[in-house]
Amino acid sequence: MKLYRSLVAVALGATVALTVSANAAAQTTLRIFTGGQQRPDVMRKIADEYQKRNPAVKVEVEVGGATSDAQQQYLSTVLSSKDSVLDLILIDVIRPAQWAAQGWAEPLDGYLGADKAKILPTYLKAYADANQVGGKLMALPYFADSQFLYYRKDLLDKYKRPVPKTWDEMIETAQIVMEGEKSPQLQGFSTAGAPIEGTVCTYLVPLWGTGSDMTKNGKLNLDTPEARQPFQLYGRMKQAGVMPKNIAEIPTDRIRVDFQAGNVLFAQSWGYVWNRLENDADSKVKGKVGVTILPHDKGGKSATCIGGWQVAVSAFSKNKQEAVKFARYLSSPEVSKMQAIMASHLPVFPQVYKDPEVLKVNPWFAEALPVVETARSRPVSHQYPQVSDAVRSNMNAYLAGTKTTDTALADMKSKLQPIFR
Amino acid sequence: MTDSAISSKKDLSERALGALLLLPAALLLLGIVVYPIATLFWSSLHGVDNANVAAGEQWIGLGNYLRAFEDDRFWASSWHTVLYIIVTVPASLVVGLGLALLANLPFRWQWPVRLGLLLPWALPLVFAGLIFRWFFEYQTGVVNDVIVRLGFEPLQWLSSPNLAIAAICITIIWKSSSFMALMLLAGLQTIPKSLYEAAEVDGASRWQQFTEITLPMLRPAIFVALIFRTITAIQTFDIPYAMTGGGPGDATETLAMYIHKTTLDFLDFGYGSALAALMFVLSMAATSGYLKYTRRSAGRGEE
Repeated sequence: MKLYRSLVAVALGATVALTVSANAAAQTTLRIFTGGQQRPDVMRKIADEYQKRNPAVKVEVEVGGATSDAQQQYLSTVLSSKDSVLDLILIDVIRPAQWAAQGWAEPLDGYLGADKAKILPTYLKAYADANQVGGKLMALPYFADSQFLYYRKDLLDKYKRPVPKTWDEMIETAQIVMEGEKSPQLQGFSTAGAPIEGTVCTYLVPLWGTGSDMTKNGKLNLDTPEARQPFQLYGRMKQAGVMPKNIAEIPTDRIRVDFQAGNVLFAQSWGYVWNRLENDADSKVKGKVGVTILPHDKGGKSATCIGGWQVAVSAFSKNKQEAVKFARYLSSPEVSKMQAIMASHLPVFPQVYKDPEVLKVNPWFAEALPVVETARSRPVSHQYPQVSDAVRSNMNAYLAGTKTTDTALADMKSKLQPIFR
Repeated sequence: MTDSAISSKKDLSERALGALLLLPAALLLLGIVVYPIATLFWSSLHGVDNANVAAGEQWIGLGNYLRAFEDDRFWASSWHTVLYIIVTVPASLVVGLGLALLANLPFRWQWPVRLGLLLPWALPLVFAGLIFRWFFEYQTGVVNDVIVRLGFEPLQWLSSPNLAIAAICITIIWKSSSFMALMLLAGLQTIPKSLYEAAEVDGASRWQQFTEITLPMLRPAIFVALIFRTITAIQTFDIPYAMTGGGPGDATETLAMYIHKTTLDFLDFGYGSALAALMFVLSMAATSGYLKYTRRSAGRGEE
């Protein structure tokens, strides 16, 4: 009872204190939404720095859903009801087109004026492009990401195999290493296969590796022989036994967990993995990991899936002027560098990759820049969730063995056709 | 003034008072039950033209319903839902009845048994789904561990369609049996002991007592439990969502999951509302079917 009373007293006291301080300074309060995986702790530190420089602004950080899908479901509810509670929102790189169509993000062109033409060329080109929809700037890049090929340096050295350039080389190496190691736990190659967003990239990366793409001039382009290639590639991998048998159950972070336990030779995953492999206490692969560009087809060219997070200003915010100012700070080279050092987030400005302080913390950023420069966007559509669903569910069904190349591709096409007319 | 005039005046004012007293509750129900359902139906008659998103939601009449009837995924997800109902409702009734009979046995340590019965029911659905997802996991799951120890090949519980449906059904049965058991246990406790004592005097066997006393007396409780269980089965969402996310492909997706996807992921509120309205009609049909049957059989009992 005593404890309860003192708790109430503390809570009341805190509330009073907060109200008083808020009233005293007549502050603008900005509320920014970020996902749990985008390092809200680092966002808080950046916001503290901003508050120090702008005493009239107070930033609240709201943390939500761990996955991009979960965050979007929450945000759809808030924004469909035109709620003004959020001023800024971190959005996945796949979302700007949908957000523009729904009218959720405030176009920034009017606020930036002549600055727009000045700042856009300073970003990595893929990010400048990804944030513009029909010529309008919908958000500003916060941090970059892309998929890499993670590999076990120690095992490649042991079997004297080079870092693979093509998919076939990778399969061959995986077979040799797996045969030599004789460990039933060891997986040759792992990538996302569960029915989740990451599985879209599982289809797209080998497709791009042939030089083809899913759409051509806004029209669906899946009647090509190249469209079959990703299915055939994973079919070959399954036959060769280099992929985990339960590949259709594997979500993004499971790849990292397996790799960290020393059970994966090659993995296709995002930038956050490196840091965990090198720094986590339970990592069995510290110092044994290499990062490189994903393989491609013979005669093709490597490409990777673009990821990363953008700062959008809510169209329903009541403090848009102040929100845009904060968004520009979050999307500055200075904050890009802070994030690189504190969270190993890949910078959105090419020069930050070469910054000595950044390289000291993240030596692999030197290798990351050329990979990020080959990153391509997933198909742009205001109906992206439907596009994603068509690709991921069919890729997942193929990996589970419930659909063949023909049925998976046909089902994918029939779902995508009405979207890319 | 005559007596009757006075009483009719009094009646009227009593009626008015009654209406007045009911008004707050009626308004509340109107606001939180009728209004949302009406909005749902209204919204189901609207849609967004994908070629012209800026125009917003347009009146399209029954277009969304026609679309549903031509939508393979609607039929597939409805079929999965029906499958979960057909398998899990009777199974959880049987398992629940067994558990209820056990918990009703007159022995000293009744309370831990009853507490044990409560636990699966008290666990949030998503937790149950996540826990069983780990049980059925390919490499590290308990189920495959047992299978391997017995000398068989591990099974891909969550990525082959039939096994995934089986795994989900097992989870739902585990989760819902305790609810059934609680409802039936309450029913069992209303049966007077004297009936059993009389039957014993008449020389009825244990089995006869069960079929002649327990089951008939338990009938109302069974029907209430079945109605509740069927309605929740129609709305099956959390457990498959947590275990497979609808995969492999769309092989384990339920109607509720498809509605969730259509509205919250695809933001197609009109079509999602139409699907929800169809599910609502299905629930109503199932419930009224049960109610009709109970009323008829209750009537027959009286004759």
